[in-house]
Amino acid sequence: MLTVKYLDSFRTLSHRLRCLIRAFGAMIYGATVYEMVRDLRKERAQRERLFVLAIFGDLLGVPILPPYYALRLLPYVVPDITGWRRSMLRERDLTDLCDQEIT
Amino acid sequence: MNAIVVLLIGGVAIALGYGWYAKTINRSVIQPDDKKATPAKMYMDGVDFTPANRNVLFGYQFKSIAALGPITGPIVAVQWGWLPALLWIILGTFFIGWVQDYSSIMLGVREEGQTFGALSYRFISPRARSILLTFIYFYLLLIMAAFGKIVGYDLMTNPAVPLGVLLVIGVGLLAGQMTYKWKMDIILVSVLTVVLAFVGIWLSTLTPVKGFFNNVINGAIVTTAADGTSTTTYATVFGSVTQPQFIWSLVVLVICYFGAVLPIWRWAQPINYVAFWIVFLGILAGTIGLLVWHPAFPTDFPAFTNWGGNLCAAADCSKVDPKLLPNLLALGPLWPILFVTIACGAISGWHSLVSSSGTARQLEKESDGLYVGGGAMFLEMFLAVLSLLTAVVGVGVTKGFVGYVNMIAQAKNAGVFAVGLSEMMAKIGIPTSFGLPYGSVFLTLMGLTIMYLVVRFMRVASAEFMGDRVPLFKNTTFGTIIALLLSALLIYTGFWARIWVLFGAANQLMASFIFMFVTTVAALLMTAYNVFKQVLTTPNLPIDKVIGNWLAGLIAIYLVIAALILAWDAFKAFQRLRVGEPVKA
Repeated sequence: MLTVKYLDSFRTLSHRLRCLIRAFGAMIYGATVYEMVRDLRKERAQRERLFVLAIFGDLLGVPILPPYYALRLLPYVVPDITGWRRSMLRERDLTDLCDQEIT
Repeated sequence: MNAIVVLLIGGVAIALGYGWYAKTINRSVIQPDDKKATPAKMYMDGVDFTPANRNVLFGYQFKSIAALGPITGPIVAVQWGWLPALLWIILGTFFIGWVQDYSSIMLGVREEGQTFGALSYRFISPRARSILLTFIYFYLLLIMAAFGKIVGYDLMTNPAVPLGVLLVIGVGLLAGQMTYKWKMDIILVSVLTVVLAFVGIWLSTLTPVKGFFNNVINGAIVTTAADGTSTTTYATVFGSVTQPQFIWSLVVLVICYFGAVLPIWRWAQPINYVAFWIVFLGILAGTIGLLVWHPAFPTDFPAFTNWGGNLCAAADCSKVDPKLLPNLLALGPLWPILFVTIACGAISGWHSLVSSSGTARQLEKESDGLYVGGGAMFLEMFLAVLSLLTAVVGVGVTKGFVGYVNMIAQAKNAGVFAVGLSEMMAKIGIPTSFGLPYGSVFLTLMGLTIMYLVVRFMRVASAEFMGDRVPLFKNTTFGTIIALLLSALLIYTGFWARIWVLFGAANQLMASFIFMFVTTVAALLMTAYNVFKQVLTTPNLPIDKVIGNWLAGLIAIYLVIAALILAWDAFKAFQRLRVGEPVKA
């Protein structure tokens, strides 16, 4: 009975230790690679937004006559249209860029 | 008093502040509700709005808020003695610092992830946003001047630093190439580049390297007097600017130029990544060293010097070179100057911008906000306490209070940190011959990695303000050069200590609660008065100093006017909202 109790407390301890190490690892990731991943995502998203704007700009009122090929791309773009439109129309200013360390 | 006791006090403040006070306020005032969808979930686009694990966000938030401010601020604030500085770091964070960061996150979360620009437009007035944006531009300029002087001075006065810094930058570029072009594993890249960076710092400590930088690049002229004492002088390029000052400031500006115009993955990001490991390992080694060492506070290091922060009234300045005495500026009375000098160590306005535009859009659930915003701020408080200890015990135990005063007189604020850190690291077997340049490279990198991001911001800001009227400002190179020229003007000509106070005040002004508003406006007015007085009453002041300090003084006046207009608009908005009038669009 006593052995089982010790075994349980050992398991709890090792579980907590593993959680702690995992949390520390996540913090280090957040302080290092995470920002790189975000920047890359941002860069990719900007290109995608630009691409969709060039092809489907008429959805936002940009006077673009959609070519035939736009229709062929439409099924791929449809799932992202809401997000794309929100992102294009969202008001931005300098404070949008302030998510980086400078002080 | 023992250094460990101070660390324990910091630990107790965190336990009480975060574990009890913050949680109580959180429950009764903010009342987070996990059933409410956060902007990260509502508008998930995989880019700006993405839910992230709270531990990842904690690391992200901490790295975003902790830079040179909490390290340099406390070192300068020791001029009033270590006790007022320690008290403000702890009490400021306890009562205001975490509230400011956390409430900014929650404001962003509850207002659909809008940034402070949009929020000020919506809640205060359209004018408020314009003022905020111009305010940010001048704030960035002050950061460039304050950090640029630290970095430039570190590079020019310590010949063991430049090669280390340049090699770390080179290694950073290599890290970018390996990661993005050669698609190598990030762990392998990290290990390889960090080892290379350490080898680079070690190479910079070799005597021939130091000799080359001192004699050839800096053009040091050593003259020996009849009594055997030798003095080192440098040729002046213009005004009071010497050759090493000119060369290294130029190098810094060139580095900033590349950081501002090249794609972020090519320059800023990989260099920052390598620099992070240098900084992280330095802090880790310093903390372990301090715990092993556990020194008592030196008896000659005063807990309180005097109300005016006048070092010569607290220490024997007869041993200080008379030529350096003007550097021992009495910064001003403890209130309000101390409260803005410590800057981000206790409260920071920049944190609110980071929190609303970055973290608030990635919060998975509302209850994570306190852990991320409040927790990261309390950890930053710990960093500020550690930095204070580098001055008080790191320098104090080995060189005494007079040693600290001497270093401030030589404008070696960064040197204080480097010496302190090297003494702490020496206790775990890292020789000071390596630790000292390592500490200087550490601090220089911290400044540099921020400076090119600042220039990036300034370039974008000038394009936004002026681009429609003068299309040339939309040109990347032109906007960058204008930002660099303005920065260079202040770097070459301003009084560093005054610039630091102005930077701190501008920073705190963005975090203004009533107490801090009055304090920062008073600090700005007082510093502007001191700057003008110094310029007008100092005989034979070189023309470059006159120009730079007039500019600094005028920026301070502008900041005060902008703050008063903002406060008036905010007061009107508050009255309007209180009686339930709709917000003007």
